[in-house]
Amino acid sequence: MKKADIGHHISQKYNQELEDVRNKVLHMGGLVEQQLADAVLALTTMDGALAEVVITNDYKINRLEVEIDDECIHILARRQPAAGDLRLLMAIIKTITDLERIGDEAERVGRMALRFIEGETTKDTKPLLGIGYFGDHVRRSLHAALDAFARMDVYAATQTAKEDIKIDQEYEGILRQLMTYMMEDPRSIPRVIGVMWSARALERIGDRARNICEYVIYLVGGKDVRHISLEQVEAEVRASHRDEKKPS
Amino acid sequence: MKNWFKSGAPWIWINASAVSINLLAVFGLLALIAVRGLGYFWPGDVAVLEYKTKQGQVQKLIGEFWETEQVKAEVLRSNGFDIPNDMLQVTRHVLKVGNRDAYGADFQVILQANILKQEYPKDVLVVVRREWGNLYGYLQTISQAGQTVTTRPQQAWQEFAPRMRRAIDLYDAIKQIEKKQLGTINAKLEKIRLQSRRDELEQRMTADKQHAYDEQRGRLEQERAGFESRLSELHEQINRDSFSVTIQDGRSLTIPFSKVVKAYRPNELGVLDKLGMYLANVWEFISDDPREANTEGGVFPAIFGTVMMVLIMAILVTPLGVIAAVYLREYAKQGALTRTIRIAVNNLAGVPSIVYGVFGLGFFVYIVGGNIDRWLFPEAAPAPVFGTPGILWSSLTLAILTLPVVIVATEEGLSRIPRSIREGSLALGATKFETLWRTVIPMASPAIMTGLILAVARAAGEVAPLMLVGVVKLAPSLPLDTTAPFLHLDRKFMHLGFHIYDVGFQSPNVEAARPLVYATSLLLVVVILFLNLAAIRIRNHLREKYRALEG
Amino acid sequence: MTTIATDTPRTHGMDINSLQRDFGATRLEQEKIALQVENLNLFYAKTQALYNVNMVIPRHRVTAFIGPSGCGKSTLLRCFNRMNDLVDGCRIDGMIKLGGEDIYHKRVNVAALRSRVGMVFQKPNPFPKSIYENVAYGLRTQGVNDRRRLDEAVEKALRSAALWDEAKDRLHENALGLSGGQQQRLVIARAVAIEPEVLLLDEPASALDPISTLKIEELIYELKENYTLIIVTHNMQQAARVSDYTAFMYLGKLIEFADTNTLFTNPAMKQTEDYITGRYG
Repeated sequence: MKKADIGHHISQKYNQELEDVRNKVLHMGGLVEQQLADAVLALTTMDGALAEVVITNDYKINRLEVEIDDECIHILARRQPAAGDLRLLMAIIKTITDLERIGDEAERVGRMALRFIEGETTKDTKPLLGIGYFGDHVRRSLHAALDAFARMDVYAATQTAKEDIKIDQEYEGILRQLMTYMMEDPRSIPRVIGVMWSARALERIGDRARNICEYVIYLVGGKDVRHISLEQVEAEVRASHRDEKKPS
Repeated sequence: MKNWFKSGAPWIWINASAVSINLLAVFGLLALIAVRGLGYFWPGDVAVLEYKTKQGQVQKLIGEFWETEQVKAEVLRSNGFDIPNDMLQVTRHVLKVGNRDAYGADFQVILQANILKQEYPKDVLVVVRREWGNLYGYLQTISQAGQTVTTRPQQAWQEFAPRMRRAIDLYDAIKQIEKKQLGTINAKLEKIRLQSRRDELEQRMTADKQHAYDEQRGRLEQERAGFESRLSELHEQINRDSFSVTIQDGRSLTIPFSKVVKAYRPNELGVLDKLGMYLANVWEFISDDPREANTEGGVFPAIFGTVMMVLIMAILVTPLGVIAAVYLREYAKQGALTRTIRIAVNNLAGVPSIVYGVFGLGFFVYIVGGNIDRWLFPEAAPAPVFGTPGILWSSLTLAILTLPVVIVATEEGLSRIPRSIREGSLALGATKFETLWRTVIPMASPAIMTGLILAVARAAGEVAPLMLVGVVKLAPSLPLDTTAPFLHLDRKFMHLGFHIYDVGFQSPNVEAARPLVYATSLLLVVVILFLNLAAIRIRNHLREKYRALEG
Repeated sequence: MTTIATDTPRTHGMDINSLQRDFGATRLEQEKIALQVENLNLFYAKTQALYNVNMVIPRHRVTAFIGPSGCGKSTLLRCFNRMNDLVDGCRIDGMIKLGGEDIYHKRVNVAALRSRVGMVFQKPNPFPKSIYENVAYGLRTQGVNDRRRLDEAVEKALRSAALWDEAKDRLHENALGLSGGQQQRLVIARAVAIEPEVLLLDEPASALDPISTLKIEELIYELKENYTLIIVTHNMQQAARVSDYTAFMYLGKLIEFADTNTLFTNPAMKQTEDYITGRYG
């Protein structure tokens, strides 16, 4: 399945419907990405107003999820898609679930930011030092995943999936760092724990970005690469590249 | 106007008119035949006229009005009739005066103007005789064994009926003996003759056999002698009574009861009596043997022969046509050859029927029949058995004649059986033959019946070829009777179509026979209709049974 | 509480080969073979209708042939019971083996072959006889005339075609009085009555309404327990619903033959994908 294939149905309306729903997913992805960026920014700059915006904007993502779900159901019911189309819809349905969760995580980060700001007496922003960079990494990873989805690029998807390992490692580093803070200053424990939750949320976002990458691989190559090691993923992808739809 | 043309209404009108013309033609034909034919059986009143002849004498005439027409007075004047000058048209009647034996002609032409007196006396008697046609006159005396019983007309009429009945009973008994008993004995004698002849030919005749044959022959001769003495006894009895009748010119004729079919006083009869007599006449026409060179009596042998011949023809043509069609459509490789055969078959349908007659005579009768005689019936020589025209050859000839119709109809029917049905049968492991036999041909049977209906209609109406291969003016016996082998395919037979031709154009008294021609035509139409209706019923039944899948 | 995010825990110690990916799917290599097609080429007069077809029809499974009109799927189906013999000028090259024997061998009795490979057609084609006689037709052809045996066989066949309950009170009525769907089931019963090994179905539901179609599909599902079924259909959803294996044909060639789950979710060939998703190539 290549991106260009979507537009080749004999039924123009079908093309339109698939293109529509795909565009909505990309729109949703953009929105989620924006939320994530804003949440991380709100946390790192302790911008309470921005955090509020993030929290209130989550409903847009939820609404989009419902909307896209609806459209997918309609297409399933009316078109009975097969093969690539079926995989596209499956990928979309799963992707938007993950995107919605990412939106929720971003909202959580926003709430943590608010709590952090409210509980702030010491003006000690040290615990937030690593988070900014980490958040940015996760955001880039999500962006890359969405990009791979948009372009249906298996290679980019594989690369992005690999990125998750780095994110996990980084998360570990941040945890250690935050634990050090807690040990140094037990009074900061409540605040640090808030930061810790944020970090965890970001790590989960990384995982979900990887999920999206896996959906892309499934969508494009028809290979289910969930729950296997990255080496195996790469091998599968290489294999599917090799026997990429012969035109015979 | 233009719009009216564009609306298509004129087209509908043209179609409707064509249909009406067709209907008119059919009903007109039937009506004409029916009116002319059915009137024949009505017992008409007998008029007694005083008539002024051409020579100016007054003559007494007794008879039925037969025909009436308008004639130009001039024509009659030039023929010497004395017609008043102011008359342009004269009504002329044909009067059936009967009494052919007395006057030499059945009919007399009279002019309405010359009738001086016309009345319908109740005591005028019509006598339908076995010979010489009808007799019109007044009953005078009845005699028994030469002795006059009564001379008073009134009493004579009372005496008449029982004696008449007695004579008819005796007549039937005589016929019974002649036809059945003597017929059987003669058939047996003939069989013995042929057997012994055969033995002689094959040189197997022994003294024993000869003796046995002689003994059988003697027994049969004896039996025959018994019947013959009984016959002469009956003849004596039947000839006992006679009656005398005064005819129009005052002569008195004596007629034995044995020569009379029936006698009645028409002017005395009411409408209901006449109706009864009418039906009796119709029945007689249908069920009796013909008399007087076919011009009187019934046509039963002709009906029987027609139906019999058509049935045998149907039995012969159906398998032949169906098998040929099945081969052409199902087995033969479709190509130039099958196309040629089809064209040939279709063209056969266009060959004039008399040609088939010639073919039947030349091939079936002389070649096939002659050889059959030579091989199977050498003992009958020189008399032919199958080597002479007969019902079998007639049926065969007509079978060949109608073969194209059956073939074409069957092929049509076969081609209309959906492919899916054949495939369904084949896919169940049936062979091609099983498929044909168990499914395709039964489903094509309505079409086969249609072909047969057309064939029957054609065959029943065909006369010309039959004259060459088996039809005769008068057949001594039916092709189906009670003497073994019951069905006598070698016999000649009578046919309604030929009967019409014979009565209408070959009889000694064409004028008298004309109504009979119409009546026989009507009967022929009815017989064909009946045969067709029977076939159509069967076809509809089959159609219902094997109604196509499209439904 | 801390999760050490490495790669290993996400696979839960399983590797890809032990992980069952195609749940419930069947594998062609493990199937018993009912029919084997080897290098089959078919010509109608001068045009070639099938090009070098090689395939294996698994036993007691439903195999569907899909493809656009004129792709040769019906032609291939009709090769299995030699129905193509009826077509003038049809010539066949290659082999089809039923139980290891070439059905195109010249000593093969075609009628006997057809009683081993039954067929049901697109339009229901019951004979204009009673329901009973329709079902008994094949048996009578085989010379079975014993009333008791026929009765039993007819009941069994009608039961296995799920028609018994509807037809048992009208066995001796004309089969043409049945509805279209019932007629098609009757035709299936008729084919099943002679207990063939293989049952060929040539678009068996294309002339039926959706409910009748579903009944036929259900029937196909039940029949596969005892018969090898091959179905030709224009309706891809139907192929997807009823078949275990699907063959996609295009222009007389077998493009792809795979288990139905794979073929309909992840076909290997672009032409297959284009066809089943409704694309122009």
